[in-house]
Amino acid sequence: MKSFLKSKGFREFLRIALALFIGLGLGFIITLFVSEDPINAYKSFLLGPLSRLNRIGDWLEESLTLILLGLTICIVFNASQWYIGVEGQMILGAMAAGIVSLYVPLPPAPRILLAFLAAMIVGALWGLIPALLKAYYNANELVTSLMLNTIALKLFEYVLKNFIMNEKSRSVSSESIGKEFRLGTFIPDLPFLHNIRELWIKQTSVTVMVYVVIAAVIVVYYLLYKTPFGYELRMVGINGKFARYGGINVNRAVIMSIMVSGIFAGLAGVHITLAIHNKLISNMTSGLGFEGINIAILASNNPLGVPIAGLLYGYLRAGSDVMERSSDVSRELVFVIQAMVLLLVTAERLLPVVRTRIAENQDSDNRNNGSKNAKQLKEEGESHVA
Amino acid sequence: MSLETVIRGIFSSLFIASVIRISTPIIFPAMGGLVAQVAGVPNMALEGIMNVGAFTGVMVSAFTGSIWLAILAGIIAGVLLALLLGVFHLHFKSDLFIAGLAANLMASGGTVFLLYIITGDKGNSSTVRSLSVPNVNIPLIKDIPFVGEILSGHPVFTYLAFFSVFLVYIFLYRTRFGTHLRAVGENPEAATTLGINVVRTRMIALAISGIFAALGGMNLSMAYLQLFQKEMAAGRGWIGIAAIHLGARKPVGVMLASILFGFADAISNQLGSLNIPSQLVQMIPYATTVVALAVYAIQQRQAALERMKKYQKEHIDSLAAEHQG
Amino acid sequence: MQPIIEMKEIVKVYDNGVVANNGVNFTVNKGEIHALVGENGAGKSTLMKILYGIEQPTEGEIIVDGKSVTFKSSLDAIDHKIGMVHQNFMLVPSFTVASNVVLGGEPLKKGLIDRERVLEVTKELSDQFGLFVQPDAIVDSINVGQRQRVEILKTLYRKAEILILDEPTAVLTPQETQDLFKAIRTLVQQGKTVIFITHKLREVKEISDRVTVMRHGKMIGTVDTKDVTREQMANMMVGREVFLNITKPEMHRAEKRMEIKDISFLSETGRPVLREVSFNLYAGEILGIAGVEGNGQTELVEVLTGLKKSAGGRVIVKDEDILDHSPRDIRLKGIAHIPEDRLTNGVAIRASIEENLIVDRYFRAPYKKGVMLDYKLVDTKSKELIKQFSILTPNGKLPVGSLSGGNMQKVIVAREFSSDPYVLIASQPTRGIDVGATEFIREELVRIRTKGCAILLVSADLGEVMSLSDRIVTLYEGKITGVFPKAAEVSEEELGLYMLGIKHQTPEEMEKFL
Repeated sequence: MKSFLKSKGFREFLRIALALFIGLGLGFIITLFVSEDPINAYKSFLLGPLSRLNRIGDWLEESLTLILLGLTICIVFNASQWYIGVEGQMILGAMAAGIVSLYVPLPPAPRILLAFLAAMIVGALWGLIPALLKAYYNANELVTSLMLNTIALKLFEYVLKNFIMNEKSRSVSSESIGKEFRLGTFIPDLPFLHNIRELWIKQTSVTVMVYVVIAAVIVVYYLLYKTPFGYELRMVGINGKFARYGGINVNRAVIMSIMVSGIFAGLAGVHITLAIHNKLISNMTSGLGFEGINIAILASNNPLGVPIAGLLYGYLRAGSDVMERSSDVSRELVFVIQAMVLLLVTAERLLPVVRTRIAENQDSDNRNNGSKNAKQLKEEGESHVA
Repeated sequence: MSLETVIRGIFSSLFIASVIRISTPIIFPAMGGLVAQVAGVPNMALEGIMNVGAFTGVMVSAFTGSIWLAILAGIIAGVLLALLLGVFHLHFKSDLFIAGLAANLMASGGTVFLLYIITGDKGNSSTVRSLSVPNVNIPLIKDIPFVGEILSGHPVFTYLAFFSVFLVYIFLYRTRFGTHLRAVGENPEAATTLGINVVRTRMIALAISGIFAALGGMNLSMAYLQLFQKEMAAGRGWIGIAAIHLGARKPVGVMLASILFGFADAISNQLGSLNIPSQLVQMIPYATTVVALAVYAIQQRQAALERMKKYQKEHIDSLAAEHQG
Repeated sequence: MQPIIEMKEIVKVYDNGVVANNGVNFTVNKGEIHALVGENGAGKSTLMKILYGIEQPTEGEIIVDGKSVTFKSSLDAIDHKIGMVHQNFMLVPSFTVASNVVLGGEPLKKGLIDRERVLEVTKELSDQFGLFVQPDAIVDSINVGQRQRVEILKTLYRKAEILILDEPTAVLTPQETQDLFKAIRTLVQQGKTVIFITHKLREVKEISDRVTVMRHGKMIGTVDTKDVTREQMANMMVGREVFLNITKPEMHRAEKRMEIKDISFLSETGRPVLREVSFNLYAGEILGIAGVEGNGQTELVEVLTGLKKSAGGRVIVKDEDILDHSPRDIRLKGIAHIPEDRLTNGVAIRASIEENLIVDRYFRAPYKKGVMLDYKLVDTKSKELIKQFSILTPNGKLPVGSLSGGNMQKVIVAREFSSDPYVLIASQPTRGIDVGATEFIREELVRIRTKGCAILLVSADLGEVMSLSDRIVTLYEGKITGVFPKAAEVSEEELGLYMLGIKHQTPEEMEKFL
């Protein structure tokens, strides 16, 4: 028990918990200042998502998207790629899934399957451009992926307005996807579950995507920690020079990390199309682009932490919706809290840090090998932002 | 409309004036980002600072009725956010990239949050009466046909933006502090040995980037429009960062890159009148940026290869000479 | 001649217990050129860092110009008119020569930097001391010799009277070295004092008035240069090496395993670092490379292992030229590599010990099973290796960064040795690690050599090279200067003469032993 309390994992957990606590505390202080009835407002924020079945449903649905986005970022961050093209990959994935579901003349099961496949492939391919530019020409992946996000969004709007849009509908959107081509509820139709299932369907629309997401978490975990591919990717992320020395093809690992992450962004696209909106609609990914980073950082880039972080932020987001509807505090409070937590979690010096001998080793060896080495190490640390 | 009208449009004074108008809110954050970047602290929060500046400016102008107080407040708000970033990165050792994203999140969330508290609306601030900065009609020049229409009559921010390119140039290349700032960015170790305080220099660089980004934000909310909208910066902060890379981290280069974007955007506006779908046309500026970045990166790589080849050849020649001798 | 600097009884113990200086007395007279020589790790650099205020002495006193001083940072040293030119230059690459010279103390006019004055000042200093530079050239575009002159001008701009030059000729061509010497003489004529750190005894003879020799953190002696020969200096420097207590079974040299033919390498700035180096490696033999650091050893190893691209040559292994192949291809040919810089290349510090042990094999059977990596096997194998190589750790799941330097090196050695290498290239295999680990690694090297591996050993520790190698090659300025087929029969004095470029064998003499 004692060793557990001292273990790295536990301390990391404490650190994050403390950051969350401070973030939520700050949120409360802000609420005190702005609300007529701060206690109830904050109560609705913290407890709201659990208050009704449909709210639990909303929470879970939101979380599923967030978890997939978190996994996406988790993959690229493990390879130390500062790639944020997730939104583009997601929207084009959504588009691919939507088009297949709307137009490909196949029976339901294969059609849904094809929709998944199309979204995953499109997500991966959209990552290819910044990946190639980064790997072979060292073009800043951050900037290129951001620009490509906008291009993807415009492309989506273009296709939607010119080829898909339903003239009769009031909003810019496609027709609804046929019921049989959507994803079904996640509760299997078994006799003893029948009543729960009916109740659930009436109130919410949490779909079988739950299982896909669980599978995705496990797949990413295994991919990163149990396969040669994940090994390459993480070694490149930890020390690119070591990877090269050991014979790893660094360029290929960089490209693959971005493309593989696109598969999961594509899945997020499937989720918002076939489970949440049930159609293609303008602005369907708004504000989600950077959420994956919040989740991945909160999860310390560990895929097994991603569902927890995703459910947590999903909960806060759902709670903020409830708060907005039932009090005078608007939901954007949650962004301020998230930002605070993000800052605190990455602030090594501010919250008690996990100190292993790693730091000491680096210090003493730098001194022995002269200042050049110290500088190199520092540059390595800073290179991703330069 | 025909292609001919579009082409005629592109060569009109109005078009050129629109390029200037669109470039302005990119030049500001780009110049600010440039200062931070050359100091070795790339500021990823430009977007958020623009939003904060835009919001603060509008609100303070509405409540004080003073445009100058509003501008001052906007700048202060921008600087404070930049300093928050600096404190977390330089003192608490947060990752600068992540901290920048956090600052953006805080800005976009915080502005809408406050907007709602103040106006009861979450989309924009149209319910409060805010002010705009004056337009400047340049005497003499305004009367010159064509040229006058291009150069005169812009809001004061526009002139300030272009003037800031000159200011940043002078600051970085002609003042002691600016020179030290560049040295800190390129070789902090060397700067330290000469008694230059790296942390303080970087902190100030971030603060300066905050000033410019905030001005960029106010240019959106207090010039052509007199209101704040949710997510008003709409990606301009990020485009500013792209412009820094594209402009090879030189003030004039960065300005030209910003204008290139403005030009592409203005073209897309012109083409909007043709029968080409607007969304495709709107991609032009972003696609231009990606292509330009790619070309730039490829060129850099090519140049390095050439240099290596040159050395190899010299070496082989000298070996040959040795053997003969 | 009165002393301008006196360092008395200087002791420096680093936090990790390394004693870099042990009671050093060092005196420099005003207006002299004082050479400071010693092997790598002799403590020269530490002594000079103390004098320049970068490091603080554990014990001892520094007297400058008759006054006792304490330097908290290099700024204090600069205040006392001491300037230092570091081996890796402290320049801002995108700035002009002149801007670098005045950086931190720019002349102003109306609040702005007076650019004309900046150029003028640089020109004046440059003329005054015969340090020719082009003031408006960008540092990035000038060669190393010019960069060095900029560094010297920087110290002169800060009114330095005492200049410390840390191995200034290591990166220069012979012509540039001559230019530097001319400049140093000019400096001294104008009343400056120069401390000149070097390994190159020819240069000591040529330029210095007095020379101080250091060895193993101690001062061996200070003499007037004209009174000693290079051979005598070499003896002082290398001294009697402690022969290591290693029992080496008789060598059974077998077939040729690697043929290295005319390898050349150019630095980024175009300086030839390796010049047509040729030698062969044989099964069952350790070939040691003796040389003062910075004479091309690092680059030789990196070219052979595929980490750097050569400028020509051939490396034949199993009838195939593998020069400039990828590191993976080279490893697949059975070539293992212990890298000289542990933390840069050798390990991924945040990854587990296990994962550090498999970087050369994770992609093939039996580790790769279908699409998965068999971590059970990794666990078993790493347990075996941890035991076999006595790596001190509770378990293999801990990050390799949690190990001490010696154990970290054992992880690398375990990985590279356990691949049953066809050829092993070991670069500084025991640098900076404890005695126990050092001994262990040396014994392992001998063991696999006796088992029939071909080994190339590169080490800055001459004692190590001499006691482990069967055959020794000396490398000086990127060229092979001598080959000694029976390592046991050559004296360190003899070797020193070749390592320091004083003696050369002819190509014909060397040919049959390479």
